[in-house]
Amino acid sequence: MTAPILSTHGLVAGYEPDLPIVRGIDFSVSSGELVVLLGPNGAGKSTFVKAIAGLVPIHAGTMMLNGRDITHVSPHRKVAEGLAFVPQTENVFATMTILENLQIAVAHLPKAKRGAAIEALFARFPDLAARPSRLAGALSGGQRQMLAVARALALDPPVIILDEPSAGLSPKIVSEVFDMLKAINAGGVTVLLVEQNVKAALAIASRAVILAEGRIAHEGLPEELASDPLVGKIYLGTAHGHQGAPA
Amino acid sequence: MNPQFIMDGLIAGAIIGLGAVGVTLTYSILRFSNFAHGELLSWGAYLALAVAGALGFLSAGLTKPIAPFSFGWALPISAVIAIGLTGLLALAVDALLFSSFRRRGSAIIIMVMASFGASLALRSLLEFLFTSKPAYFTKALQIAMKLGGGLRATPDQLLMLGVALVAVVTVHLLMTRTDIGRAMRAVSENPALASIAGIDVRRVIRTVWFLGAALACVAGIMSGLLIQIRPYLGHDLLLPLFAAAILGGIGSVPGAMLAGLIIGLCEALAVQAVGAEWRAAVSFVILIAVLLVRPRGLFGKAS
Repeated sequence: MTAPILSTHGLVAGYEPDLPIVRGIDFSVSSGELVVLLGPNGAGKSTFVKAIAGLVPIHAGTMMLNGRDITHVSPHRKVAEGLAFVPQTENVFATMTILENLQIAVAHLPKAKRGAAIEALFARFPDLAARPSRLAGALSGGQRQMLAVARALALDPPVIILDEPSAGLSPKIVSEVFDMLKAINAGGVTVLLVEQNVKAALAIASRAVILAEGRIAHEGLPEELASDPLVGKIYLGTAHGHQGAPA
Repeated sequence: MNPQFIMDGLIAGAIIGLGAVGVTLTYSILRFSNFAHGELLSWGAYLALAVAGALGFLSAGLTKPIAPFSFGWALPISAVIAIGLTGLLALAVDALLFSSFRRRGSAIIIMVMASFGASLALRSLLEFLFTSKPAYFTKALQIAMKLGGGLRATPDQLLMLGVALVAVVTVHLLMTRTDIGRAMRAVSENPALASIAGIDVRRVIRTVWFLGAALACVAGIMSGLLIQIRPYLGHDLLLPLFAAAILGGIGSVPGAMLAGLIIGLCEALAVQAVGAEWRAAVSFVILIAVLLVRPRGLFGKAS
């Protein structure tokens, strides 16, 4: 395994200091991995990734990105450092157009490079290119998710974190979203994915981590976790695991 | 009915509109009603007066009126300096007061009550420094020109209408065509998403304070030039400013300006129709009517 590109050490986080939701997580992702974070509702998955992004207060522990301590770096600086985050809901600026959403995303680039960066995103997400002046709030769930991912990828980040990108989408769109994530990872971007859709997530993951009660309960290869009936029953809400699910 | 109410209403409305643009920007991004905003109009006018006085002291030629206006170069020069100083004053108030409440995650009502306190302190300080006696940028008399249709206006009044128009178009272009404008709209819609989209939210907040104060300063100077300068200048305009910001739709720059003009015209009409003593009630009636019928205002986004 290569050196971790993103890691946390004894991370404690939560909205109130005396009520931590994340309770001391030691975790790392290596460059090029696609790690899926699973677990029952209330396990602290979303809080954990929000804490990494800087949206939830950190009360103890440290966090490193590419060997640099980013524990108390503000969220917008983390973006500049190469950490992209796509929240589960309200992940686009609904009152602004598709183009304006992307213009915000490329604002860190020199002006001369912004046009080409937006063109590259439109080439990668042709659905968005069709009507760039359309309000993001008028897009379908799948298109919004694509715009949110496009915004996150605008600065070519080495790491992208997505919080339940399949939530609320139809099965056909979910399949497209997972194909997109697989392609992004194949392009060299390290992906950390929080998901409730266990089967689809394990099918594309290179490693899986299960959280329970704010701590890491299990981790391993997707095949191992999927075929472990005890893990499936206790943590993933599946009585028999997911035999053969991973690709 | 004398059609002159239209010109009177447009001039009063331009002042209200400029002040309301500042109110709508700060409300949409800082998310509380800043009742100290009116004091920024007063401070802007007094700072311009003080700087113009100092310039006049240094060079008497700067106070010689520029035809056809009633003021000399000292006023436009002092206006530019006062805009910067009023912006710095707003940043200082934020740094000393509101930013600490934001850091603590204080409730909106605490921010509102703090703004009442800031309003009282700023107004009292003005009275202490300049007394409550009315002051004037110029006491030169101007003859109103006939504009046709029974309307008359002085060159100063026409210039101020032009200044208001240029200021609003500039702010609108800033909001829609520039990085900082898009960042301000993004923070207004969703501060958390804005931060993970790479926007420095604290920088945006500082920009909004400065911009709102700059517009308040321009409105204060306009009011001071066309009427008079008093410590209560801004405080007395507070209700029309909030009525215009809400009528225009919170966050909408053109909406605030248009609503300011509507309120100015309604006030001027009320003076002719029912008497000057009812003028102040007009903003209140409009505010209540908008809140009951269309709370999101003319150009506000549905929540």
